[in-house]
Amino acid sequence: MTRSKTIKVDYLARVEGEGALYVRYDDGGVHDVKLKIFEPPRFFEAFLRGRDFTEAPDITARICGICPVAYQMSALHAMEDALGLQPSPQLRALRRLMYCGEWIESHVLHIYMLHAPDFLGYHSAVEMARDHPQVVKAGLEIKKAGNTIVALLGGREVHPINVRIGGFYRVPTYKQLLSLRDQLLKGRAQAEDMVRWAASLPHPKFERDDCERYEFVALTHPDEYPMNEGRITSTHGLDISAREYDCHFQEEQVPYTNALQSRIRERGAYLVGPMARYNLNYSRLSPLARQVAEEVGFPPFCANPFQSIVVRSIEVLHAFDEAIGIIDRYRAPDAPYLTTTPRAATGFAATEAPRGLLYHRYSLDEQGKISDARIVPPTSQNQKTIEDDLRLMLPKLLHLPPEQLQARCEQAIRNYDPCISCATHFLKVDLQRSGRALP
Amino acid sequence: MTDWTIISLGNRFRGDDAVGPYVVDRLRAKPGEPPACIENGGDMPQLVEDWRHRQVILVDALQSDRHEPGSLLCLDGLKETIPPSLCMTSSHGLNLGEALELSRLLDALPEKLTVYAVCGREFSTGAPISPAVRAAAEKLVQKILIQIATEAGPHARAIPDQRSGHKNP
Repeated sequence: MTRSKTIKVDYLARVEGEGALYVRYDDGGVHDVKLKIFEPPRFFEAFLRGRDFTEAPDITARICGICPVAYQMSALHAMEDALGLQPSPQLRALRRLMYCGEWIESHVLHIYMLHAPDFLGYHSAVEMARDHPQVVKAGLEIKKAGNTIVALLGGREVHPINVRIGGFYRVPTYKQLLSLRDQLLKGRAQAEDMVRWAASLPHPKFERDDCERYEFVALTHPDEYPMNEGRITSTHGLDISAREYDCHFQEEQVPYTNALQSRIRERGAYLVGPMARYNLNYSRLSPLARQVAEEVGFPPFCANPFQSIVVRSIEVLHAFDEAIGIIDRYRAPDAPYLTTTPRAATGFAATEAPRGLLYHRYSLDEQGKISDARIVPPTSQNQKTIEDDLRLMLPKLLHLPPEQLQARCEQAIRNYDPCISCATHFLKVDLQRSGRALP
Repeated sequence: MTDWTIISLGNRFRGDDAVGPYVVDRLRAKPGEPPACIENGGDMPQLVEDWRHRQVILVDALQSDRHEPGSLLCLDGLKETIPPSLCMTSSHGLNLGEALELSRLLDALPEKLTVYAVCGREFSTGAPISPAVRAAAEKLVQKILIQIATEAGPHARAIPDQRSGHKNP
């Protein structure tokens, strides 16, 4: 007789049941995988209606304590698209520098505090720190360099307040930027070591068959590794502007979650994030990032999500390299921001949050009040792909003891660094077999 | 200027979870030079940096069925056990107890740590702070002002904090 088993992983947000992983399987295979993720942007879309267009960057920055810059940048670019503003190359470079800071902060947090313990067999970063304090110390130090960039340009590290439509309230002097340089040089050297270390971790093997292969979706830009600008492209031939996003992507309501799942209209699930950026933009990584990737034998195309930790490390190295280059080339803009007057219009933008493509769309009335807002975060775009990964990888893992199986499920979810922290504060794991709770 | 740094945890948009940021806002709005305040949105590794070797007052919300909304708990974070309900694991890594443990391992503990936890009941996204929690927060602001005035210590100094600034003009 076939015994039905259930894996349940509840992400609880101080309000129980807002997010969970549910897997039903038996000896015959995996029958059901449901990932429920609460999405704060849905609340913010409603909250933004009736607000002034100038408020969007600061309000949306509150969506996520880990990646506020990403929300600000997508909001800024969408508003500037609506208003026909084109910030100067100097302002553009400063925004890119700020994004480098956030990539460093966010990626390093995930690499050292969340993902590395999975690979090294620890339950948490604290356990790992007992045996490897220098590793954790190095991680915190690298992260701090990213914080410093965001604090200088954003006015503070968390929920930056210095960005505005058309530019910045204040721009830094060259001397201020130069004060970051030594810390960034040290961070870059540490990031090189981090890539080597991440590449040496024991990555579980998992690659999809041809018929199930990922559609990687990321921005691409002719001249640079994408952050703020570019066309939305994919490994399956998609090549569109942000204005065309709604024609090609749709969000579906699924019955088991209040969150929406994104899919490409013609093809279904897709993958956004570091792996997608890397696979679509390898040649635009800095020479140093590519050199170190080659040195550790990491290929230009990565299809194993358990190796996303290496890709994140390479992106951190690239971000340091990029940040140093921006500082070295810096010329203060003539004005800290462009002025504008509101008009009735709709603006679109997609930027590359650390976790992947972040799409914003705003409609404004004649007074510049927001009449409609749409925000599609990377985590909701990856939700279906995470479910598919679990469905595909679990059949080969069913022999594992329940605790190991559960740990592998969590690790597989963490491959995507899902941004649940905005809404969730604790993780409760509940593993059941035949309706009976296991110890 | 006080030696103390006030750190808030919690989400401004989740009902009573906003009590920490609310208290920080109220402290910043008081006449005179405000104490150093840091609004930590839940980045616990950052908290390790925020409180490293400082005298810290930490304000957070607490979900507890055993206490009425608006109840205020106070504990010495370096000497007493952190209640389990203040140790909810973030998807981004650490909970408060783990942040303390990590700080201990990395020699980054605060010099002093007073934890104020305000019990709440309503944590839904978009909900306002409940009246009971708001009233408790007002009392807590006064309590903190008294604490930092009376326990300023002999080494009172300005604590540089780039995150305590207000919006630029």
